[in-house]
Amino acid sequence: MNENIHEAQGREVQGMLETRSRTLFQESVDGLDMRVRSRLTQARHAALAAAAASSRRPWFFRLPMLTPAAGVAAAALLGVALWTGGIGSHGLAGDPANLEDLDMVAASDGGSGDALEMLQDDLDFYDFADKAAGSEPAA
Amino acid sequence: MASFDTLHHAWTVWDEPAPAPRGAVLEHTRELDVFLAEIERRAFRMAQIALRDADDAMDVVQDAMLKLARNYASKPSAEWRPLFYRILENGIRDLQRRRTVRKKFMVWLPGPKEDPDNEAQDPLDNVTAGGPDAPELLMRDQAMQTLEISLRELPARQREAFMLRNFEGLDVADTARAMGCSEGSVKTHYSRAVHTLRERLGEVW
Repeated sequence: MNENIHEAQGREVQGMLETRSRTLFQESVDGLDMRVRSRLTQARHAALAAAAASSRRPWFFRLPMLTPAAGVAAAALLGVALWTGGIGSHGLAGDPANLEDLDMVAASDGGSGDALEMLQDDLDFYDFADKAAGSEPAA
Repeated sequence: MASFDTLHHAWTVWDEPAPAPRGAVLEHTRELDVFLAEIERRAFRMAQIALRDADDAMDVVQDAMLKLARNYASKPSAEWRPLFYRILENGIRDLQRRRTVRKKFMVWLPGPKEDPDNEAQDPLDNVTAGGPDAPELLMRDQAMQTLEISLRELPARQREAFMLRNFEGLDVADTARAMGCSEGSVKTHYSRAVHTLRERLGEVW
């Protein structure tokens, strides 16, 4: 019985606290000065103008919001494509002849600077031979 | 060339999303305007109570309005209120965090010490002099100040739950949405807040 009385009193006190605090809060809201009210109105108008402007903007101006996600997705796709060898089948790594040439160049003289010099000499020679063949008239 | 026409039409539709009828847009904007006008003063006071600073409160409310209008205006208007308060509470929390960090850095810098007297505002400053209701206004002002101090001393989540439920009149479900927690948590926070406030304000009220 006493518990019920206590509970009822507690609820009554809680109700009074809620009502009183709500009333005081509302009075403080109503008592806001004109400067604050004016600034709030300006802020509201600015928000509405910004919303209107953003809804008028064409789709491509809104894209930058998606850029980080799109960038990550593109990078992931490229990574998967490279990993599964979609590009490699046509590239350097996919052609055994290219690999052999590279091995030969790298293997000669232990891959030192001489190997690169020899390669450069060969290229010069082929260039000279090509020009000579093109310029000399057939005998 | 039928396929070209089809493609061209598809591109045009994608490029320029069908604009809403002008009347509908105007109605929508007016609805948002009414909503914000109805909510802005209470939101400002709630932010002011939490932050103890009118300028900071104004910034947070303005930011919340902008974010709601920019990002969520297309949502059903019934969802605006909890969304707005969620943005607002996040803004308040961010600002409080920044203040805490700033304070930690400021401790190491030499400068004028804060005058504790500045914190306590004289209630008489807000009372119009010589008015017929001056004593009554003074009493109300003092009561509100006591309430504000007690609210600030509450843990942030309890204060949020109390203000949203009691001052803004949100139901438990909307308060949970605004606070980003379960309805059970809202009930617990609110109950604890009321209990603490009763203990602190019981003698005064």
